[in-house]
Amino acid sequence: MRIVHYLNQFFGGLGGEERAGTPLEVREGALGPGKLLEQLLGGDAKVVTTLICGDNHAVENQDAMVADAIEKVRQAEADLFVAGPCFQAGRYGMAAGALCSAVQSKLSIPVITGMADENPGADLYREFLYIVDSGTNAARMREVFMTMANLARKMMSKTPIGSPKEEGYLTRGLIRDQFVEKTAGERLVDMVLAKVKGELFESEMVPTAFAPVPMPPSIKDLTKAKIMLITDGGLVPKGNPDKIQGSVATRWGSYSIDGCDDLKGEDYEISHGGYDPQFVHQDPDRLVPLDVMRQLEKEGVIGELYDEFLSTSGLANPLSNTRRMGREMAAKAKQLGIDAIILTST
Amino acid sequence: MQITAALPVAKMVGANRTVLGNGIVHVVGDAKATPEKEKEVRRKLVEQALSALQSDEK
Amino acid sequence: MQLTLAIHPISEIRFDSKTYLNGATLCVSKEELRRLVLEDSSFEGVDFEIARPGESLRAGPVFDIVEPRAKEPGGSPDWPGILGAPETAGVGTTHVLQGAGVTLLREQSTGDSRGAVGYVLEMSGAPAENCPYASLNHLITIPHTPPGLPEHSRQRAYRVAQLKIAVYLARAALDATPARTEILDLAGANGEDRAGLPRVAYVGQIFSRQRKPQLDEPILYGTDTDGMLPVVLHPNEWLDGAVAPSYHCSLGGAETYFYQNHPVIMELYRRHQTKELNFAGTVATIASANNFDRERNCHFAANLVKWALKADAAILTKFGGGVPHTDLSETARLLEAMGIRTTVQVTDLARDRRVESALLFNFPEVNAIICIGGNSTSWKVPRVERVIAANSGLAEVLAGPFELESLNAVGVANQQGASRLRAMVY
Repeated sequence: MRIVHYLNQFFGGLGGEERAGTPLEVREGALGPGKLLEQLLGGDAKVVTTLICGDNHAVENQDAMVADAIEKVRQAEADLFVAGPCFQAGRYGMAAGALCSAVQSKLSIPVITGMADENPGADLYREFLYIVDSGTNAARMREVFMTMANLARKMMSKTPIGSPKEEGYLTRGLIRDQFVEKTAGERLVDMVLAKVKGELFESEMVPTAFAPVPMPPSIKDLTKAKIMLITDGGLVPKGNPDKIQGSVATRWGSYSIDGCDDLKGEDYEISHGGYDPQFVHQDPDRLVPLDVMRQLEKEGVIGELYDEFLSTSGLANPLSNTRRMGREMAAKAKQLGIDAIILTST
Repeated sequence: MQITAALPVAKMVGANRTVLGNGIVHVVGDAKATPEKEKEVRRKLVEQALSALQSDEK
Repeated sequence: MQLTLAIHPISEIRFDSKTYLNGATLCVSKEELRRLVLEDSSFEGVDFEIARPGESLRAGPVFDIVEPRAKEPGGSPDWPGILGAPETAGVGTTHVLQGAGVTLLREQSTGDSRGAVGYVLEMSGAPAENCPYASLNHLITIPHTPPGLPEHSRQRAYRVAQLKIAVYLARAALDATPARTEILDLAGANGEDRAGLPRVAYVGQIFSRQRKPQLDEPILYGTDTDGMLPVVLHPNEWLDGAVAPSYHCSLGGAETYFYQNHPVIMELYRRHQTKELNFAGTVATIASANNFDRERNCHFAANLVKWALKADAAILTKFGGGVPHTDLSETARLLEAMGIRTTVQVTDLARDRRVESALLFNFPEVNAIICIGGNSTSWKVPRVERVIAANSGLAEVLAGPFELESLNAVGVANQQGASRLRAMVY
């Protein structure tokens, strides 16, 4: 088993903060904690190459450093890539996460790292990687390496990996289905009895808190404002030229309303399976209020209605799509000097 | 800002300026009203939206 | 209000010149059933096939699955409001052909959100391992209606015909001695010896107003639920013909079979009988299309649970996807605020496998969640020996191999509580 191990300047024995600017260095064989890793993995496990990089350099030159490191991992013909463990060190965690992520996707070999739950690298990368929960105490290096070694062995032998609790990795925030003994009906009664009796129970799903979005400042003079209309109700021109999917949409479109006072049902169709579309078919202004906005523009209440509306479908659409599309739409609006957006949703 | 009938969802994901729309199937319409009345309903909702855009209240 | 189930186990269905019960074999006359179905001029014809557990067989798109059951005279009517007068269901004796199902197929797929295959009945292989319907003997009913027939007439014709068949078959058991009987009764629930037990209620959505019901669509005692407010129902009413599924259900689906064998109601009854809880009763409710309607219905339902059922705890299930999910969590939130502990059953709404996308609500008090997943499970299903479908076009689509999503495998991700799927967070 050929291993490449990544360490920061401190664990790599180069020094402390004063060496944080060190660019990527390559060493033959295992260094420092890497020797313990070799020992714990046992068998024919050998750290063939150790990569060391200063934490600041890693963060400031991430793309170049990662590309360079990937080449080294490829040259070493590694079967496994290990980074850290990083404990609480944030820059180290970010670098380790970026490296593991890139090695995993570009070289398709198993990767493993360890971090404390609070490490910012954990937040960014937990979804894509198995990150062993190292806690913050570096004195636990041995136990952490053991957990990493166990997981690494499972990954290499393609043994199914159990729950975060069982295997010692940070919850990735992903879902996979499993068939269980009891029906949902039985599980519901079990759980409600436990809850009403004040006993401990484990919910099958946990709600997520959404980070608050800062409130943009209000419009000071509406009569000068340039406003754009957006909808997630799936209103598209007849023929759906951009082929926007009715559910789990990955695309959005911009459609001209230049010189148009009123949306006509025969010019549009609806790509969205989650609501009864007949009313919007009859009159699309019921979803995208063009007629009224045009009136307000003519009356001078608003400065200008932008001559396109943006559209996609919000049905069953996971955050991974909608976050991206929202950002893209916002970027377009910013570029066009739009002052405000009215989003109409079903 | 966002006009929607599903306010709980909008609030949960952190939408700052929201106006309650008139139902899921015609968020800025009203299929039960006459065309004139419906336009009034729509205008009212849009005016509420424009008001929200000019306010710093959530 | 006592309901007695007279259970007749069925291990085989066979075609014969007459319809009768021979021990555990149900003999079925195609001719008799044809005559029964063609009483409705909406049908041009009807065919029947038998599907057995373990067969290399696929049928679809499935309209509904109904357990053959028939009322003994002297109790409630069969399917009040649809086949009979709308009198209270759930009284008297109901004969059950357990192990059998009447499965009616659609002549065309419902389209977009279900995909081309619709709900698929898979009788063998991986999907069958976790499907409650794969162990039944099915009388597959293939309708033929004229293409010009309005959709609402077609679906109503399907609904009525399927129920008629199911009743007709079970009538063959009326004079036979059942293998066992089960008595469903809440009498004595207020007895002193039960005083300390938690009172648990069930709140079940039976329709979602994000769509309008079809003209004459029979859901609750034959009504289409339009304009309805939440109502209290005795558990027996659900089990004995008061509720039929809407023609349209999303995600993992709901079938008549699991109203008749309601997983939550039957489990609450079981634990009531073992004196672990007092089954306080049930509320049937609907999901709303606008905020006002939602607030009104959720408050109504919560009030019924609190004041009419006097429950300490409640189990809630939904009928559909995202919109009903909001009504579900809002009702649960209101109940918690009234001091009533809740558990909700949700589906995994995350098409991207991420926990963050899975729930559309975040109320700390609604923290007892059963999640039946469904979005990350599918199987590559092979070509099968027999495909049963209403026409060659559908048969071709269903022939396989193709990727069958668990949400389309009828029964696997069932929304009524029958699913053994669970979303695991890792």
